[in-house]
Order: sequence, then C-alpha cells, then structure tokens
Amino acid sequence: MGDARATILIVENEPEIRRFLRSALGAEGYKVVESATARRGSIDAASHKPDLAIVDLGLPDFDGVDVVRRIRQWSSMPVIVLSARVQERAKIEALDAGADDYVTKPFGIGELLARVRAGLRNAVRPACGGKVLKLGDVSVDLDARTARRGDDPVHLTPIEHKIVAQLSRHLGMVVTHRELLAEVWGPTHVDDTHYLRIYMKQLRDKLEKDPVQPRYFITETGVGYRLLADE
Amino acid sequence: MCPERTVGQDACLGSGSSFYGIFTRLLRYSAGMNRWRESAGYWSAAGAVLLCTLIGSAMTPRFDIVNIAMVYLLAVVIVALRFSRGAAIFSAAGSVAAFDFMFVPPEGAFTIHDAQYLLTFAIMLVVALVISNLMARSSRENAERTALAVEAETERVRSTLLASISHDLRTPLAVMAGASSSLAERGDLMTTEERSALARSIYGQARDMSEQVDKVLQMTRFEMGAIALSRDWSSVSEIVGSVLARLKARLSSHQLVVDIAPDLPLVRVDATLIEQVLVNLLENAARHTPANTLVHVRGLLKDAQVVVSVEDFGPGLEDRDIERVFDKFYRRAEEGPVAGVGLGLAICRAIVSLHGGRIWAEQIPGGGTAFRFAIPTETVPTAPVERQQGDEA
Repeated sequence: MGDARATILIVENEPEIRRFLRSALGAEGYKVVESATARRGSIDAASHKPDLAIVDLGLPDFDGVDVVRRIRQWSSMPVIVLSARVQERAKIEALDAGADDYVTKPFGIGELLARVRAGLRNAVRPACGGKVLKLGDVSVDLDARTARRGDDPVHLTPIEHKIVAQLSRHLGMVVTHRELLAEVWGPTHVDDTHYLRIYMKQLRDKLEKDPVQPRYFITETGVGYRLLADE
Repeated sequence: MCPERTVGQDACLGSGSSFYGIFTRLLRYSAGMNRWRESAGYWSAAGAVLLCTLIGSAMTPRFDIVNIAMVYLLAVVIVALRFSRGAAIFSAAGSVAAFDFMFVPPEGAFTIHDAQYLLTFAIMLVVALVISNLMARSSRENAERTALAVEAETERVRSTLLASISHDLRTPLAVMAGASSSLAERGDLMTTEERSALARSIYGQARDMSEQVDKVLQMTRFEMGAIALSRDWSSVSEIVGSVLARLKARLSSHQLVVDIAPDLPLVRVDATLIEQVLVNLLENAARHTPANTLVHVRGLLKDAQVVVSVEDFGPGLEDRDIERVFDKFYRRAEEGPVAGVGLGLAICRAIVSLHGGRIWAEQIPGGGTAFRFAIPTETVPTAPVERQQGDEA
C-alpha cells in the first residue's frame, strides 16, 4: 500500500504511458500530477511540491536530464527517470545529475512501484542514524561500525563500512559508480571502477551466502550498485 | 585462391590463378596499394625488357632477329595482361628501344635504317594497347558483377529480415490484439483468473517483442559501426550474477549450475554489452533444450584470456551448424516456431569481436552444446590495499 498522502509528479509526453501510470499509481493510493512537457514539469514540480517525481528522458521540448537538474537546484525530492534502452548515456547522466533511480522502458508496473516505494521511504528516513541493516542472518550496525553473522563478528575494513553506509543511505535505490567512488575515495577517483569491483567482491564474500548470485549487494551493470535489505 | 594479404605480391600474381579474382580484389584495395602496384608494373616492365635482352643475346648467333622480336612481343603481352596500360606502353617502347639498340644493325646504336622496325614498334604498341584495354574492360565488368552480387545479397538479407519480422513480430501482435480486445469487450463476462491470464499473456508477448525489436536495432547499429564501446574494469562474476537475476524467471525451467573461478581477473569491457552476450546465450540454451535439463555457466582463466561458457545438455548441434549458428538470420533446419529473429548469436559475435575476443560453439561429447567466448585480459591497475583482520604477520 502506498502512502495515501504522497503526491507523485509524472513528466511524460506519451499520453498512453501517462494513462497507465496514472491508473496504477492511483490504484495504490497516490495523488498524481501530470505534465506533458519538460517545461511544464519543471513548473509543476515547483508549484505542486510533489513527494516524488517520475521523469521521462525522451521529452520533446528539452531533455529530461535538465528537468532533473532544475528540480535538484531547490529540492531533494526523490526522482525516478524512465529511459529507453538506447538512452544508456542519458540515464547515467540523469543519475549523476541527481536522479535517484531509473526504470528501463518497457517496464512492468511492479518494478516501477517498487522504485517509488523505496524512493518515498528513503525520503522520510532520518539520514542514517541509529540504523542496523538486516541482510539475512547478517546485521550491520552502521553507527558502531560493526557487523555480525548470527553471533559471530564479521570484520569489515573502514572502506567496506563506508561503502555499506553510502549504499544504505539510498537503500533499495541505485548508487552510481561515480557517486560511490567520489564519496568513498574522493572526487579524484571517480573513474577507478576497479576499486569498486575489488571491494564489492570482498563485501559479498563476507556478507552474502552466494557471492556470485547476491541477494543484497545487487549489481546494476554499467550503472552502479543497489543495496537491498530485509526491513 | 590467394589469401587476401598477399594480393599484389608476386607469389599471388605468379600463381596465374584467376585474373578476375585478382582484379576484383585489386578494385577493393586501397589507393596506396594501387600506387604500389602501378610502380611495380613499371619495374616489372623494365625487368621483362632486360630479361628479353639477355635471352635475345643468348639467341643471337643461332636465331634470326625476327625471332628475337617475338620474344619482346611476348614480354609486352605478359606485362599488358598483368599491369596497367602505362606499364604496357612502357614495355613496348622499352622493347623497341632495346631491340633496336642491341640487335638491329648497326648494333649499339639507335639508328634505324629500315622502316620495317618502325612497323615492329607499331605492332608491339598496338598489342600492348589492345590487351590492356581488354583487361581494363574485364575488370570493369567484374566490378559491376561484384556490385550486382552485393546488391543481391543485401536484397536477400532484407527479404529474410522482412520475412522474419513479419512472422516473429506479427504473431505476438496477433496475440496482443486478440487478448486485449477480449479484455476490453468481454472482460466483465470473465472470471478474475481469466482476465489476469489474458493480461499476463499480453505483457509477456509485449516484452518478448520489445526484445526482438531491440535486437534488430542493435544489429543495425553494429552494422553501421554506430556502437562505441564504453569500457570499464568489470568483474565477470558480477556480470554473471546480474544476468542470472535478470533471467531468473526464464531460467526457472532449467537446472542452473554456476561455476566461476573465484580468482578470475577483472577485464576491461563494456559490461552492458558483455551482459547482453550472456543473456543471449542463456536464453538460447533455455529455448533450445528440454525443460529440467542442466545449464552450466562457467568462467575460467585460460592462456591469459577469461573464457566464459554456457553449456547445455540438449540435442546438440550438427557439424554444419557449428560455424553458421553465428550468422545473421541463420536457423537450424529442424527449428520450428521457438526461434526468435535469428540475431541473438550474430549480436554475440559482433560484441565479442569488438572486444578483440572470440566466440565459438563446440559439441559436448555425449550430447549438448557449449557456447564459449574468450576475452583477452590486461594488467589490472593496483588498488589501495587495507589490512584485513588476521592479516597481521
């Protein structure tokens, strides 16, 4: 069930896509505001103050990436972008410009609703305070910087803790390579993707039952990583 | 046939195989190669004249000089056959000059006493021109023939594409139109289960169709050279994990075994495209093998290459299919409606070769097929190392 008070802005030029988004989001109890153009979307985002925005990257007047940038100038509301498979580059650009997640067209509504829920949940969650992550039989205490599997302590290095903390700040949502590298190693390392590969392997080896088929530290190929947790 | 890289070299030209072949390939050759050939023609002409002169000197005491003229004529014919018109004229002029200087009395001088040697020169010139014109015409005709053949091939590909699009895309469209109109017009007469089954079938067909369309677009972009790799250090094990998560529902009909060497080095690849290769291979395996059979995904390091395999235990491939399965629109004879547009493996091959790798199929002794691809490894740059617990030495 969605939060009945939440308002969702849809910036999408295809009326048929707006139609099914409207009915699916409406059925979940969300209030829906629709904009057919990027220009209109930027205005509606400011006037309706929605709790979350869904922005299509294939808008006719100007780029959906610009809508994301404009929203980010004044708001930290969760933004989910809709991208077609050919817009791989625009998708990464939108995420790096501050979008929180993406869904690739064509998508099933279940996928989009899961992203919307994760986005709204993250928006209300206090920034990572007093938080214990539950990953199956593993729990990670983000404040105390400790981890244990059942009763046995699991040792995580300071960088591994930083990665888990950064991912959990966007729990259930994608974090781009660039974002992770900049936050954990600093802005001079944004292209050192091999750091991430090495550390994600270590983390999965320590925290996942099957490191090749992870349940919690999910790979978003070509984009970044997503941390799922048992709430 | 000569291998392409020796075109224009003596080994190839000397084989006397087919001038058609040589000329058609020459047409495709670069301007630089043509310049090289042009000068090679003149050098060969000079060589031929020199050779004839040596032969002529050996013949002098026993043969009449008319016969020596014939030797020169032969050289002109050969040069005209193999090289440019310029080289042919050059050889004709060179031959007359050498013949006159060396053999026509007074020897050792360019003086012509007898008008008949002018005739010799004229004949050689005419022979040179006639033969090089003939060769030029035949090469032009060959170029036209090649162009026609290319056009016919393009046409064949286009009509196969149209045929497969009309079949593979129209069938799901028919399902979607039928199911959705039933829902729209008769939905309230149906049970919830029936409605939801119809809706799900529309969803499934639409997803499939969207993937087929993506494949056609992707193949087109590959053929236009419009795909640029965005390479990053990537982990094969991560890519495999991501693919398995993506295909979870579709692979649920089979038993999956995953075996990735834990110490596999990182590779610098476009991970999105390599993921596509694995998706296509795994979908093929699921589509072409009976339910509940084993599908084995392996990753290992061999000869400085990361080799990823998808092995199935289905009916296996015929020998003739082993190479051809990677061709566009290729379908095995026995394949029925299970096939997609026939681009999956062609896309795999395009992606792997863009990475400087290799993809191939093998029969597995005892039945089944292994599809493998190898990606060359590079030295992975170092990353900062932290002390792990228990590391203290």
